[in-house]
Amino acid sequence: MKFKGGYNILLKGRPASTVKAMPEPKSLYLPLYSERFNFTDIRVKDGQKVTGGDILATDPDNHTVPLLSPRSGTVHLKAIENHIVLEDVAHLKEHADIALKELQHVEHQMGAAGIKRYKLLSLGAWQFFYDAFTGVLPDPLGKPQAVIVSTLSLEPFLTRGDIQLHKRLLNFTRGLEHLQSLLEYQPIYMVMPDISSEFANLIRNQIRGYALVKMLEIPLKYPYDHFAILARRLNLKPKGGPVWAIRTEGVLAVDRALTLTKPCTVRIVPIGGIGVNMPTHMKVMPGYPIKKIKENYIFEPAARIINGGVLTGRILEDDTLGVDTECRGITVIKELEEREFLGFIRPGWSRHSYSNCYLSSMRKKFEEKYTTGERGELRPCISCNFCEEVCPAGIMPYLIHKYLYADLIEEVEQARVDLCVECGLCSYVCPSKIDLRTQFIEAKSLIAKEKEEIRQEQLRQEELQKQQEEARKLSEEKAE
Amino acid sequence: MKWLLKIIDAARPTFEQGGKLQIFHPVFEALEHVFFAPSARTIRAPHIRDPLDVKRVMSMVIISAIPCALAALYFFGLRFIAMIVVTYAAGLAVEATFSIVRKESINEGFFVTGILFPLILPPNLPLWMVALGVAFGVFIGKELFGGTGRNIFNPALVGRCFLSLAYPKTMAASWVEASHELTGGLVTWISPSLDAVSGATPLALAKQGEMGSIAHQLMGSVSGSAGETSAILIILAGSFLLLTRVASWRTVVSMLGSFVILTAALIIGGAVDYPISGVLGPVVWHLFAGGLLFGAFYMATDPVTSPTTNAGKWLYGITIGSTTVLIRNFTGYVEGVTFAILLGNIVAPILDEIVVGIRIRRLRNEG
Repeated sequence: MKFKGGYNILLKGRPASTVKAMPEPKSLYLPLYSERFNFTDIRVKDGQKVTGGDILATDPDNHTVPLLSPRSGTVHLKAIENHIVLEDVAHLKEHADIALKELQHVEHQMGAAGIKRYKLLSLGAWQFFYDAFTGVLPDPLGKPQAVIVSTLSLEPFLTRGDIQLHKRLLNFTRGLEHLQSLLEYQPIYMVMPDISSEFANLIRNQIRGYALVKMLEIPLKYPYDHFAILARRLNLKPKGGPVWAIRTEGVLAVDRALTLTKPCTVRIVPIGGIGVNMPTHMKVMPGYPIKKIKENYIFEPAARIINGGVLTGRILEDDTLGVDTECRGITVIKELEEREFLGFIRPGWSRHSYSNCYLSSMRKKFEEKYTTGERGELRPCISCNFCEEVCPAGIMPYLIHKYLYADLIEEVEQARVDLCVECGLCSYVCPSKIDLRTQFIEAKSLIAKEKEEIRQEQLRQEELQKQQEEARKLSEEKAE
Repeated sequence: MKWLLKIIDAARPTFEQGGKLQIFHPVFEALEHVFFAPSARTIRAPHIRDPLDVKRVMSMVIISAIPCALAALYFFGLRFIAMIVVTYAAGLAVEATFSIVRKESINEGFFVTGILFPLILPPNLPLWMVALGVAFGVFIGKELFGGTGRNIFNPALVGRCFLSLAYPKTMAASWVEASHELTGGLVTWISPSLDAVSGATPLALAKQGEMGSIAHQLMGSVSGSAGETSAILIILAGSFLLLTRVASWRTVVSMLGSFVILTAALIIGGAVDYPISGVLGPVVWHLFAGGLLFGAFYMATDPVTSPTTNAGKWLYGITIGSTTVLIRNFTGYVEGVTFAILLGNIVAPILDEIVVGIRIRRLRNEG
């Protein structure tokens, strides 16, 4: 498949390339949830003293991926709902929370490769892995058909690979080698904006002979860095098995876990958007108090703080007190406050639009100061076809919308709503202000649920048949 | 403009649930949103939205129709203003009634119909017929299907088609020769069948074997529907519509292209015979004559009634273009664009169905 669709939204408040180490906090507020995980299995007691790298909780539904303690301190479990609070935080020497006994057990069972995977999981590096097709955490013991490594983050404003790689090229190449050692013959695809750049050549020279890496050049257009799009671009099929996908930070985490056997807890989180006085990158650990970040960076009183990018992120609710373990960026946009007078007939010199209906289309590229306004009223679809033009998945959003409107779930499934990567571009461009992304997410979960129900029903039927057969046999035996 | 917002906010309770004038809420809402952009915020990702909304799309069409309206004013006199006023009054009444009954908000789609409808009428049509036509078009052509976005036919064309079938004589008698004076018709008021000289349209004359000059058609000083006469203005204003991407260039190019190619083929093949010699002359003459250009740029490109898929748009344009040629040359009608576009509207969903079917079959093998 070729790349199609996509659109770059230019937004004011792009984070500068600097990385600021944030001051050490006194307490950490570790949320027990993040985008993919729900750490329900708490492994520590109230008042227990922990050191950096200790496992605080795990997610039983996601291959027991752990929530690691980023620093040493005292645990408070019930102080705040859905959070583990660490008081008296200190930056002592961290150690890996791997019991030697268990390690030997693992080695005995699965060999050297098993140990590596076990290390990745318990040192917090495994949480950087994604299944390219579904986006969920892949099975650490599974066998992938390929690995995709992406150095890009094209959604505004998420951590860019070039910032994470600054001064860490060696770690990166070492991480790639470790990654290779987990595989047998499967290829590693590395996605870069320019495969003939000096940087790409450096990597190529460094890993020569140690890792088999195929490089793929992709245009810098959102959301071509989405793993599902990349997997389709590489002609990988879900039938062939899982495809592991990781970003730059994941490769660095693999290196840290396998070379140094140290927990991966600190991450680089960008803070951007127009509500931020100095858009930059922060070096923070999970649980870092949001309040402190707000005090330091956010000046706009009526601002929306988003955990993630502006197109797919979730609103950071007030009851979340700390940065979660999967945070890839904090974006702050101004809430809409003033209503524009006769807005629809203004020339629109400073408005950024996908269409050419504003005077700004005669202008060079510029960054717009966006607010959270919907900028129009909800209307029936006018079939402008913009959603299909921007859709990177090659589906027809307006068609699926019309099917959903008519409640034709089977047709929705045939129109391949499952290929939707939830990039949010269709909702963004829609002049009728239809929230297509949300509708598709709901439709997808509905279809998945129905399929699951059908499967369960089939299993039940089979079970019933078996039981009947056995009963019949029994009665036959008795009769004899 | 704070004072206006204050007035609107003060009046709001009267129109909201439980207020005295609750049933007029759609009217109030429409007025409010004309002046002030809605205050709705996004509630989840994507947190920002493109500034384009349906109001802007529709105002682009209206802006691009203004040159044609001014030309109509210039060539056919002040009566044209009365036609616009009557159209808006009658059409809005139907639209507002439906919104009130349905408890939906008034859709801005009508404002486009309201300016396009008088532009495709004979300039001397009795005003009661203008009102009847637009009311019929909006009622039958749009509201019965569920309003803007769900209509199958272009409401303005439905209204015109109704008038030309129901009152063919009055329609035919309402053509006026365009003013040839320097001041144009700006200071004149033509009124039905009194002082006006009934002027046959160029296409009607062509049927009798008389083809006027192309230059007049280019400028617009010929008889015809109010807004369709000036080819050069339509091309310029229509190009603006294409540049803003409100109208699809695919529809325009395929419709005009198929028209030109088929006409040329008919001339070369000897199937038709025109007083002007050569191939290029008659083709250009026909391109500029009648409502072809206006239909191509303003009517066929209506995103709601044309196919959504790009491939469908090509086929749709070809259908309309070639049907126009056939009607103009081989039937008793002198002008075929209205019927051709309505026919295109009928086949548009079928074309979409075919294209979508192929694409879904292709999608099945994906991933």
